[in-house]
Amino acid sequence: MRKIKAQLDLFLIEIGDLTYFTSRFFKETFKRPFEFKELLNQCYSMGNKSLLLVAITGFIIGLVLTLQTRPTLMEFGAVSWMPSMVSISIVREIGPILTALVCAGRIGSGIGAEIGSMRVTEQIDAMEVSGTNPFKFLVVTRVLAVTLTLPLLVIIGDAVALFGSFLVENVKGNVSFVLYFNQVFNSLEFGDIMPATIKSFFFGLAIGLVGCYKGYYCKKGTAGVGKAANSAVVFTSLLLFIIDFIAVFVTDIFFDL
Amino acid sequence: MKQTNSQKLNLGLFVIIGTILFIAAVYLIGQRQDMFKKTFTISAFFQNINGLQKGNNVRYAGIDIGTVKGITMINDSTIKIDMNIDEKIIIHIKKDAIATIGSDGLVGNMIVNIVPGKGISEVISNGDIIKSYSKIGTDDILNTLNTSTENAAILTSDLLKITNNITKGKGTIGVLLNDTIMANNLKLSIINLKNASYGASRTIGELNDIVSSVKTNDDTVLGMLLNDSISGNKLKHIVTNLEASSIEIESVLKNINSVVDDFNSSEGTYNYVVKDTTLVNSLKSTLKNINEGTDKFNQNMEALKHNFLTRGYFRKLERQQKKEAENKN
Repeated sequence: MRKIKAQLDLFLIEIGDLTYFTSRFFKETFKRPFEFKELLNQCYSMGNKSLLLVAITGFIIGLVLTLQTRPTLMEFGAVSWMPSMVSISIVREIGPILTALVCAGRIGSGIGAEIGSMRVTEQIDAMEVSGTNPFKFLVVTRVLAVTLTLPLLVIIGDAVALFGSFLVENVKGNVSFVLYFNQVFNSLEFGDIMPATIKSFFFGLAIGLVGCYKGYYCKKGTAGVGKAANSAVVFTSLLLFIIDFIAVFVTDIFFDL
Repeated sequence: MKQTNSQKLNLGLFVIIGTILFIAAVYLIGQRQDMFKKTFTISAFFQNINGLQKGNNVRYAGIDIGTVKGITMINDSTIKIDMNIDEKIIIHIKKDAIATIGSDGLVGNMIVNIVPGKGISEVISNGDIIKSYSKIGTDDILNTLNTSTENAAILTSDLLKITNNITKGKGTIGVLLNDTIMANNLKLSIINLKNASYGASRTIGELNDIVSSVKTNDDTVLGMLLNDSISGNKLKHIVTNLEASSIEIESVLKNINSVVDDFNSSEGTYNYVVKDTTLVNSLKSTLKNINEGTDKFNQNMEALKHNFLTRGYFRKLERQQKKEAENKN
């Protein structure tokens, strides 16, 4: 009983710590000077380097989703609904959540390990001594970079996934490119694409913040770095689904899904 | 960490591709919803809109020309539908166009169809109200179909019962269809009837001849009839005999009548007829009676031939026939 209470306390303390960390992030973001070059650098290493991974994942998901649903729709004689069905499911849900999960694995663990090892090797303390604000230089740039690049990655992932779905439709059902994308955009509405984009900003924020937090407060030692990277991914994945649920809930109220 | 030029190029490319894709998607979606096109509004009143929603397509002669902008209740039975129509189409729609609500495929979205009117009319303008025509919805059709299929099901089950009974040989029709003895009897009685009718027609012809001969030679037969009181009595006797037989025939007819009446007025309908086996029996006995009746009628005819009054006439006829035969030879 006491053990459970202790664990609960630990969990609540961590949540509170993360909240302080988040508020500090927002405070520092709007403080001069901006580390603009470092931001671009991080954007490159997170955005561009994840692009291939996201594209391949999206492509395969589009391909597989179409292949798997096709027989069922054939049974109903509703194959012509394929583009609208696939596009809505990809744009609304599968694209954002899948891209975010892939990025949580790649970027979240990367940030956790990087900042964690900096903490362990006392580089962060050295920065403080030399007069650079380590929070600003390390945390703010990284979190901003993920937040800004993730929506772009999601959009590109959606596009590639739809292209993969189109390939299947083209080969199996002789649907032309123009017809396919005509049907896709016929069925899509602002209520589909806008919430998904807004949602992916929050996904990016969650990935960056949790990664940085886990790294920044890393325990001493090499084991601490590994643990920081690991728990960053696990906690981020969980958080992504919670955010997704909230986002869909709110979208439902505003857009009448 | 120094950024190289290729890094900057790649990042720039990534950002631009992402942004362009996003903007293109937004533009394409917006275009479908006519957000960037110049539009004008027309309205129509309906009593039932069958689940039409805001944003559903409006079609003119099969082309998508706009969307439903708003749906408002005017009063308890009238609904006003405002439609955004592409400005380029304005010159093609006339004031007498008619709006109907249809569905895009059997289970698809509802759409507003605008059909051109028949006459020549002015071009429509912004804010005009066009006429509407409410079709029967799919629901209504399905409802009617439902009741008719239910009725059909009841009908077929009844029919099945009846045909089953018939094939099993129950009831009049079944017996009629399956009983071979009865069929033979019927055949026989029909043959008998035929013979009787032949005999009857021959007798009538002969009677005709008698009457004509009475008319022409009134001093022979008629005179005899008028003067001879004994033969008069015998004639009376024959007539009473005939009367008795006619009464018998009448009773047979009554029997037949009652059978037919039973057939027609059976309170309960067809089932009664189908299931009543006593009717079969009575039908059988009726046929037997008819048989007997025709036999008796034949006997009567035979008796008539041998009667002394008419015997002379028949002999005379025979002689005449012989003579004619000889003459011919």
